[in-house]
Amino acid sequence: MALKKLPPHRIVQLIFLALFLILFLMTEYRGSDRITAAVNGFFRANPLTAVSTILAEKAWNWLLMPGFVTLFLSFFLGRFFCGWICPLGTVLDLITKKIKKSAAPLLFNNSVKLWLFLPLITASLFNLNLAGLLDPIAILLRAMTFFMHPLLGDTVRGTWRGLYQVMGDNRDAIAPVYKLFSTYLLPFREALYPLAFSSALLLGVIIYLERHGERTWCRKLCPLGTLIGIVTRFSPLLRSPDDACSPCEKCVRACPSGFDRELMQKEECFFCMKCVNDCPTGKVRFYFGFQVEKGVFMERRVLLGGMFSGLVMARLLRFREPARESRLLRPPGVLTEDEFLKKCVRCGECMKVCLKSALYPAFTQAGVEGLYTPVLIPRLGYCEYNCNLCGQVCPTGAIPDLLIEEKKRQVIGKAVFDKNHCIPFARRIDCIVCEEHCPIPQKAIRSEIVTMTGFDGVKRQVKAPYVVDELCNGCGICEKVCPLEGKSGIEIFAVKDRTPLKDAAASGKAAQMAEDPYK
Amino acid sequence: MERRRFIRLMGLSSLFWSLPLRNLFASTGPVVAVADGADAATITRNAINALGGMKRFVKPGNTVVVKPNMGWDRTPELAANTNPLVVRAVVEECLRAGAKKVKVFDRTCNDERRCYKNSGIETALAGMKGVEVKHVEEERYKKVALGGKALQEWELYGEALSADVYINVPVLKHHGLSKLTIGMKNVMGIMGGNRGSIHKNIDVALADINSVFKTHLVVVDATRILTAHGPQGGDIKDVKQLNKVIASTDIVAADAYATTLFGLKPEDIAVTVEAHKRGLGEMRIDRMKILKV
Repeated sequence: MALKKLPPHRIVQLIFLALFLILFLMTEYRGSDRITAAVNGFFRANPLTAVSTILAEKAWNWLLMPGFVTLFLSFFLGRFFCGWICPLGTVLDLITKKIKKSAAPLLFNNSVKLWLFLPLITASLFNLNLAGLLDPIAILLRAMTFFMHPLLGDTVRGTWRGLYQVMGDNRDAIAPVYKLFSTYLLPFREALYPLAFSSALLLGVIIYLERHGERTWCRKLCPLGTLIGIVTRFSPLLRSPDDACSPCEKCVRACPSGFDRELMQKEECFFCMKCVNDCPTGKVRFYFGFQVEKGVFMERRVLLGGMFSGLVMARLLRFREPARESRLLRPPGVLTEDEFLKKCVRCGECMKVCLKSALYPAFTQAGVEGLYTPVLIPRLGYCEYNCNLCGQVCPTGAIPDLLIEEKKRQVIGKAVFDKNHCIPFARRIDCIVCEEHCPIPQKAIRSEIVTMTGFDGVKRQVKAPYVVDELCNGCGICEKVCPLEGKSGIEIFAVKDRTPLKDAAASGKAAQMAEDPYK
Repeated sequence: MERRRFIRLMGLSSLFWSLPLRNLFASTGPVVAVADGADAATITRNAINALGGMKRFVKPGNTVVVKPNMGWDRTPELAANTNPLVVRAVVEECLRAGAKKVKVFDRTCNDERRCYKNSGIETALAGMKGVEVKHVEEERYKKVALGGKALQEWELYGEALSADVYINVPVLKHHGLSKLTIGMKNVMGIMGGNRGSIHKNIDVALADINSVFKTHLVVVDATRILTAHGPQGGDIKDVKQLNKVIASTDIVAADAYATTLFGLKPEDIAVTVEAHKRGLGEMRIDRMKILKV
């Protein structure tokens, strides 16, 4: 097979896609308490994340500095991020040849993408950061985290298990091969995620749009592309000639982006240089100059309408059902719901990295405004006491990156016994599996010895557990390990006051609490 | 009436025990080796050697399972898991005796990656030839008929069932429900399914399992013990340095002797009593042959 020489932008694209995939796989615990590099770098370099989060926070956030650097560079280099870096763009470029361009190009004008972009940005201004819902990198990452990676894991692991049924212990002979695969490529746990289907569907729709022409999503809809486009419209980077010379028009055919009209569209050009490379006369070049872009960029009604929709969204999407909210448990270190919604970009990284697969994308727990934000579901997985990986990978600091000792004291919620279910109360026999698993060294779950008459009529001493609120951090291991089927006899409930627990060593009161009054 | 009969029975049985038969029984009393010293690896070897050395248990070409307690994401000094030095010494002895393969695993309570790593056991055994430190795999559990008082059947780990030699290497520590966890409770690490559900009758259930699943050698790590807030601990103040390792082929005897190191009597531990009652081993200290080395 003759290797076609790859154009430079494609080489760079492939490098960034590979980097994205490697970082994705590195967003997992591999024996070290610190994750050296995670896929969060892509979000920190993402201008949409940066702008929407800073607008919502209304304060500077150093973590998002790279996003502004990208925006600054875009002013000079056009939408190079879309043409050279964006992994979703690269995925589309790689598969677009396989998709028949059977549908007519979508000839929307600028206003369609602005109708998506403006409400998102305005909602941020009103403290609701929704940008992650339509952020291309978040869309790709969610489809991978919630759908593709679990699917891969499930398939391979299922095959591996199936082999055991066939081969029995002889399977050990090929175990090293599987180990290599499972260590580096598969998700450690077999978690199934809510919203897996919709995450995949959104990516599917974007791919489906390729029928309307190359990079239809990127050019016509993507809010990240729109943001960069707004900057590049004023860019001094110009192309000469600025139209196609008929009858050749080779560059028009080569262009994956904004050359379907006579003139090159500055806010759509990905700066991929295909037209430069493909021009038979070699006269196409980019240069810095000054030229006012023709045409109306943003109609007044689009601007006002878009902003108004954002305001309405930020206000009206806030409905939440209180019963569901009582179990809305956020990752450790999240102190208030409002602050969290300002910063969370719904990228799914915390859920990917979560050691015990405790975090899941919210579907109904946090209302429409909380869609895809992480929620801890203790019955499925608990927060590991000595782990702070979610804070390490969070790109915006919505989950703070705390020292382990600090993280252990963060309050996720509080455990509450349900005496109608809990075995010692409901059946008058011993259990205390929850106490055994409680990771707090002084034990937030303790038990008093109570004499009860069992339902068999025999008097016996039973250990009746109780929760020491001052020590409980709501990690949820008690709820996870409760041996009852289905509903647990102890459950974590959300609390408003998430003041971290007192340092047992430093505080007299906590030390006092450490004394068991029943011993 | 009942009481009288009981007293009479006791009286008669004491007569019975005074017969030469008693001596016959006494001579078969289990040997419990208790090694004392600051170096965990050395005392582990001393205890095993006092029983006749690992060659007595492990034959060349054997597959051996060494089952430590590494259920918790705690560092070695917190004494929630078996001391990695003790585990390593046991594994080395197995290899020296000619074991073809030594498998070390536990079904952990916290995340298995963190437990294997932070217990220090994975690191201590890293790179040793013929040693396998793997997480448990769901598909390897096999239903085993127990026909016990509490459990009729349970899923036990295939690699433990198929091993030629099973060496139980528990750590001696406090436990909120069963008071102590030693050898017989450490067998929970090979149980599949909803293990928590046996807590309602844990002593009987553990005796059920231990009466079917046999441990060939118990090496109790009492180098440092967790005296409170067990089985997980987490506070160094709860840890006491004991510098002891106990080894025996009789799991009940090993557990019973270890209990005394805690300042408790063997009969304080319900599972020990239950197991002894069923004839799984000896719990009376005076019937054991204790070798202090």
